[in-house]
Amino acid sequence: MSKNDDFYVGYIDHVAPKTKGFLKRFVAITLFLIVAVAVIFSLTQSTFKNSTFELTSTTQITGIYHENPYPMLRVPINHNSYKNIVLLGFGKSSVNPYLQKVMNEVVTLDKKEITVEGNLIYYNGKTLLQITSQEKVSLTHSLKNISSNIPISKLGQKTLDGEIIDPKCYFGVMKPGKGKIHRSCAVRCISGGIPPVFATKDQYNNSQYYLITDQNGMPINKDILPYIGKPSIIKGYVEEQEDWSIIKINTNDINIVSSTSDIYQ
Amino acid sequence: MGLDYQLVLWNKHKKTYDKVILIGMLLYIILFASITLVFNSETSIETLVIRAFGTLAILMLHIILIIGPMARLNTRFLPLLYNRRHLGVSMFIAALIHGGFSIFQFHALGDVNPIYSLFTSNMDYDSLTNFPFQVLGFFALLILFAMASTSHDFYLANLSAKIWKRLHMLVYIAYTLIIFHVFLGAFQQETSLFTIVAMCLGFLIITGLHIITGIKEVTIDKQQGTYGDPNWLKVCDIDEIEEDRAKIFTVNNERVAIFKYEDKLSAIHNVCKHQGGPLGEGKIIDGCITCPWHGYQYLPSNGQSPPPFTEKVAIYELKIIGSDVYIKPKALAEGTEVIPINISK
Ligand code: HEM
Ligand code: FES
Repeated sequence: MSKNDDFYVGYIDHVAPKTKGFLKRFVAITLFLIVAVAVIFSLTQSTFKNSTFELTSTTQITGIYHENPYPMLRVPINHNSYKNIVLLGFGKSSVNPYLQKVMNEVVTLDKKEITVEGNLIYYNGKTLLQITSQEKVSLTHSLKNISSNIPISKLGQKTLDGEIIDPKCYFGVMKPGKGKIHRSCAVRCISGGIPPVFATKDQYNNSQYYLITDQNGMPINKDILPYIGKPSIIKGYVEEQEDWSIIKINTNDINIVSSTSDIYQ
Repeated sequence: MGLDYQLVLWNKHKKTYDKVILIGMLLYIILFASITLVFNSETSIETLVIRAFGTLAILMLHIILIIGPMARLNTRFLPLLYNRRHLGVSMFIAALIHGGFSIFQFHALGDVNPIYSLFTSNMDYDSLTNFPFQVLGFFALLILFAMASTSHDFYLANLSAKIWKRLHMLVYIAYTLIIFHVFLGAFQQETSLFTIVAMCLGFLIITGLHIITGIKEVTIDKQQGTYGDPNWLKVCDIDEIEEDRAKIFTVNNERVAIFKYEDKLSAIHNVCKHQGGPLGEGKIIDGCITCPWHGYQYLPSNGQSPPPFTEKVAIYELKIIGSDVYIKPKALAEGTEVIPINISK
């Protein structure tokens, strides 16, 4: 057959049989390609962590609010044992605007009992709570015999190898919540007032998390932005407040390293 | 053609084409989502959407960029070219879902405007491994948007074919930006030999095909003929041209198509007024030269589209001595009436 016979014109309904056959083969090959590419890209994703964000359900929690170094709720678990839940605002923001209403009701909110309702975020023994409305926070008086002093142990200077993350995403909201893909988001979160956390591993390969403060134990946000989401080594003074560690640093003591950090293994 | 650009001509082929595009896209998304949910079930829904649509968009972009050169090499691919714009718009939609979700997920609900955040949350513009790869994706998406929104013939007519063509050549810049977007972004963290090899293969196929068609075009440009009389250029033997078809020659740096039909010869400028399709690869249908790309038609005797259409291409004078065809290299004005020369006279 001469090629004259299967000249294709889009607006003429007739298509030469040879052209039709060719197109069918092309579509079949393309479908095969689609399957192959979908398999390659979906199967090669790194394993996602089982961190959890309870987006659609809320939980009510009562505890003692403490402001330093970052807003947390100290919740009694059983006799003499407490869990410190980090409080966060909606989206990429600090919890502070959401506490304004109860703050206006007392001279100082620190060490007062409050009841809050929000979405839990948890992974690897750490728990955080997102509060999305001022109406979900109230002063209460139901807890008995709770010492409001948190025992602090000073562990001296330490050098840690890991990555600065934003705990909201890392412990549940996003996957992956670390590294290059997530860096911009972590910068936004920490810039918006979410406490920076250093994720690292100890000598037994167990994950360890440190809330980062400045050398005076005060919140640090803007100054730390250029270092977020990159493998780094930091040096600072470490304290332990029950289930959270804190590292007090000078941002000059953060060293970005080019190797992949431990937390990726 | 010219007059009916206001409405998209929906015919049987376009509908089939669109159906195939839709089925292909759905197949990809469903497969990607099910495999991820089965083998990596702790994924978050946003990440699933971002990744499924990002990878779908780049797969579609590869198919789009392969169809062009393939149609130059094998005319059977032409039906795929005919509706490529639908594929382009669909690819843009996939890319928009990917980019839109990424902007929302990573940059919205923060202390600054999300677009401002896209450019400033990572300031390592001087580093390769830490480069803010989202910015590259953003510019690629802008280009794809400009192309998708001007893909209709309305813009072709109003922007002039040349500007429109230039705008659509930007797709290669978009493709380059996306390659860097992926290699400096996702591949820095989600490193897998398989995906890297797949992306490299895609790149090699696309550049390889473009180089091969480039070589073919150069060969056409070498079909230059010989001068005897300086006013007349000898181009070929009558028998070298098939009935109802043309042969393409380059005269005065312009491509000319010499058509043979009904025992006659006519020569017109090779470039279609629609999107620059190669008229010389077209065919005479119902007495009209018909463009192989989208079927615009021109009368061989004057280069004009039959009424009511108004396109016109330049036309050339021919003569025959013995069995040799000669052409006058200077083109006549677009749409000039030239009496076709008789072969067996
Ligand atoms: C505003 C524009 C864009 C933004 C903000 C953006 C953002 C992102 C982000 C954050 C990732 C990493 C996601 C992850 O792995 O979890 C990514 C990956 C990717 N992007 Fe984009 N992107 C944009 C435009 C585009 C465009 C236009 C394309 C292609 C047509 C594209 C193709 C890809 C591909 C193939 C990947 C790697 C696979 C994946 O992880 O999804 N992106 N992009
Ligand atoms: S280029 Fe579209 S019909 Fe010729």
